[in-house]
Amino acid sequence: MPAPVDQRTAAPSLDSLEALRLRFDTIERKSGARALAVAVYDTQTGTSFRRNADRWFHAASTIKVAILLGVYASIHHGWLLPQSRLHVRNRFFGAMDGVPFRVLADRDANSEVHASIGKMMRVSELALHMISTSSNLATNLLLDLVGIETVQRSLDELGLDGIDIRRGVEDERAFEVGINNRVTADGLAALLRLIAEERAFTPELSREMLDILHAQEFRNGIPARLPRAVRVAHKTGDISTIAHDAGVVYPQGRRPYVIAVLTEWSPDAAGRAAAIAEVSQAVYDALTAPEEPLRG
Amino acid sequence: MTHSRRRRNRSVGEAGRLPLAIVDGVRLDKSLRDVLLPGRIVYDGEGNARRLPRYFYEIPSWDAAMRVQLSANFGLWEFIQTDVREAAVLRGFPRYVPCAITLLASSLERFREASGTFVHIAANGGYRSPRHAFSQNASPHCWGTAVNIYRVGDVFLDNRQAIERYAMLARQVLPGAWTRPFGGDRGQTDDHLHIDLGFVLSMPRGAPENHLGFSAERRAS
Repeated sequence: MPAPVDQRTAAPSLDSLEALRLRFDTIERKSGARALAVAVYDTQTGTSFRRNADRWFHAASTIKVAILLGVYASIHHGWLLPQSRLHVRNRFFGAMDGVPFRVLADRDANSEVHASIGKMMRVSELALHMISTSSNLATNLLLDLVGIETVQRSLDELGLDGIDIRRGVEDERAFEVGINNRVTADGLAALLRLIAEERAFTPELSREMLDILHAQEFRNGIPARLPRAVRVAHKTGDISTIAHDAGVVYPQGRRPYVIAVLTEWSPDAAGRAAAIAEVSQAVYDALTAPEEPLRG
Repeated sequence: MTHSRRRRNRSVGEAGRLPLAIVDGVRLDKSLRDVLLPGRIVYDGEGNARRLPRYFYEIPSWDAAMRVQLSANFGLWEFIQTDVREAAVLRGFPRYVPCAITLLASSLERFREASGTFVHIAANGGYRSPRHAFSQNASPHCWGTAVNIYRVGDVFLDNRQAIERYAMLARQVLPGAWTRPFGGDRGQTDDHLHIDLGFVLSMPRGAPENHLGFSAERRAS
């Protein structure tokens, strides 16, 4: 009888990593992406894989993971409670010149927070909306509350490079002059690794952040081509020339791996989520493929 | 449901008095005095000295705030909805609100009658303590005599036309009231209607009697 085939517990071979690299080259070329960056860290084997992982991209909505960290830093320090209530108000000050701006409801994927304008919502509710449906209004409310400095200081104190937060979302005047939030694949992967390994402040707070990331409703990127039983805690980011997805993937029967896929496109490009899904599947296959049975 | 005014179980107490204790702020615990600053002088945006309220209604619980009706259409709870920016000691109970809050409710009732529909007070839009993060200088919100309205009926007050329309109505029916001008600059508003009655101090009958520094008994002798 042939030896039983287990899921991989050892690091992938150099050959398979090289095959992965070639596959990403092909995906980038065939999809027409202007740039493709990938960072992977496998908590099971300690394997890491990097492709253009130190290249800076416009963060789009992936910056919301950093803001989530800032919110939980405030909770950790006792400045906030998850059940603290916050006035829902659609009025923010621009990063460039302080001119007030609003988040347009028809450009926001979430309507529930807009429906609460004038009233109050709990910090935990807003954090959930910020991640699960990428609510821009919830994002700016939370960032306005905790402050950009708190978010950046939290990143710095945890030794996280590759994430640069400079403003809230939908700040068009800042965008026009190039004041943008930026990330690298390395930066997002490091942040998610910290959360996945329950080292972000406390294990309990890390698990709360993971729970929120697990509630992600936009699933056409990393999870799209993975087996249905595989859970993914992640955050997407999508604007005119940018499509990202970064998260923690939990294959069955093994420890999770972290993956960040960052892409840049021409404004009219199609197939952006499909390319991310293909990258995700390639990584999944490489890390979970059964080990070659011993011969001889 | 927020819009329905459930009169049942609502209470204004005997002889029109509110069923709430009136307390002298200077006799409260230090933690409360430090945030209410009872009777203290603060300065408004023009540098004028203003004396903060000293007498407060004591609200023992959220349930009590829900039950106490300040006017036909406004419950006490609507004036004390503050968020995480309020001092922590005033986010729990008992909570304190200046006695002039009743005058604000009466005024708002007139405004509601003139509007002919529901008037919605924004969170942080009623009483705010001097230690609330939004309390810059002497804000009449610290006197319980200012209100931010974000919605009248189905109209959201987030544009010039709506804000100026209802600001004019407020000034018509509330002589002497001040409304914040429309605009995005400091001292202006573009997402609510701010109405205030100024720096009104109220001392209802039933307030502790030694507010002038000596007791009524000594004065009589």
